[in-house]
Amino acid sequence: MAYRISVDHDACMSSGKCVADAPELFRFDDDEIAEPVPGAPAPSDGRIVDLARNCPSGALVVTDAETGDEVDVG
Amino acid sequence: MTVTDETIVLRTFADAKDAYRAKDLRQSLYDEGEVVMDGVLVNLHGDEHRNRRRVENRMFRRDVFDQYERALFPAVTERTVAPHLAAGKVDLVQLGHELMLNLAALTAGIDRPKGTAEETARLGEYNAKFIQGATLAHSTGDKDAQRVVIAQALDDWDAEFLAPSVERRRELLDREAAGEDVDVPRDVLATLLRHRDELDLDDAVIRREVAFFLLAGAHTSATAFVRAIDHILGWLERHPEDAAAVREDALFMQRCVHETVRLNPSSPTGRRRALAPVTLRSGVHIPQGATVVIDLQVLNRDPELFGPDAAEFNPNRTPPPGVAPFGLSFGAGVHVCIGQDLAAGVVARPGTDPDTHLYGLVTGAVQHMFGVGVRRDPDDPPQRDAATARPYWGTYPVLLGE
Repeated sequence: MAYRISVDHDACMSSGKCVADAPELFRFDDDEIAEPVPGAPAPSDGRIVDLARNCPSGALVVTDAETGDEVDVG
Repeated sequence: MTVTDETIVLRTFADAKDAYRAKDLRQSLYDEGEVVMDGVLVNLHGDEHRNRRRVENRMFRRDVFDQYERALFPAVTERTVAPHLAAGKVDLVQLGHELMLNLAALTAGIDRPKGTAEETARLGEYNAKFIQGATLAHSTGDKDAQRVVIAQALDDWDAEFLAPSVERRRELLDREAAGEDVDVPRDVLATLLRHRDELDLDDAVIRREVAFFLLAGAHTSATAFVRAIDHILGWLERHPEDAAAVREDALFMQRCVHETVRLNPSSPTGRRRALAPVTLRSGVHIPQGATVVIDLQVLNRDPELFGPDAAEFNPNRTPPPGVAPFGLSFGAGVHVCIGQDLAAGVVARPGTDPDTHLYGLVTGAVQHMFGVGVRRDPDDPPQRDAATARPYWGTYPVLLGE
């Protein structure tokens, strides 16, 4: 299964954990809300799950690349 | 719709994590401590909480902590401990509060222009009152009488410490706005002043918010500092082979701190109030109006997650994936402790570079104490604090030096 990860802009509370853990994948926008780095390489599913679990606001949303369904990473 | 006043106690890790992330469960741990906690970050909910946290999080990121941990805190720790080392003994409870107050004053933004021991002692006395206010729910004394004393302490502290700190930052912010190149402190107070219009903050909220950061930063780290040293001294009696590790291996020391925090969460319970009916993934139903008590003492010692010796101190344990070594002591979800990485650092993983790793200020302070030979005073055993139902040490005399 291949996962995708995105940022829920409204939910993000700028903890910066994703930017610190994966600067090649995430950065801050002008309002210091996390956003994906354009053209970043696709991370492994395991990395995606780790990053999403580490986001305190639940703003990192994981979806199944094939179905588009949201994945509950626990 | 049924509104209830029942209390539901959660004792499993999964339920607790789920509850911490539920948007309709509102913080209620500090309902009795409003004299200090009304309108402060941890008591906010929804958009108001998110907006303030977005602003304050800018000071609680790893690049800032890196600065604190490597450039600022080691010198403060050494300076604070030095006179006690010269005396050859100290009460760890007093030292913990003195040391962590020095560090928390920096992050909260409270200046001490005189730089004297008397000035710091007065700030410590005010802070002790604020701590009583925040933990009023667990007080064993007359709570109404305490509220009066705490409110007066806030007034006096404002006049002596906060107002001059505000004035200095306002002047710097005005000069910055006028285009001058000035160094505005990177602390909570300056950040709140910079964003006060955007966040609609009045003076009273700013006052309580800064008092909260002062008390939270100093108190939780101070209690963890004493408890960690107590646990490690006990561990070394059974494992003398680790004597060198506590002085030299910061990753081992960090595991000791995480294990201490797992066994001794700052508050033994989390509390939430249901703003709407909530059903957890396990099927546990929480009616609107119910109080949810999260029993951290029990779930952080779950043998299925932490092994058959879960109730014991063991810095060599490895929790399963998705479970932090400190359990849920820092909470989870949007209210996860903002100072978690500052106090306890980042959890090490295989391949962690010890030279760039963040260990947390408690780790650094505890390791410093073992570097100066901390050991129990055989003639003066430690005593528990009888003034609170929380499991705090009241006194913990130790000897220092060789």
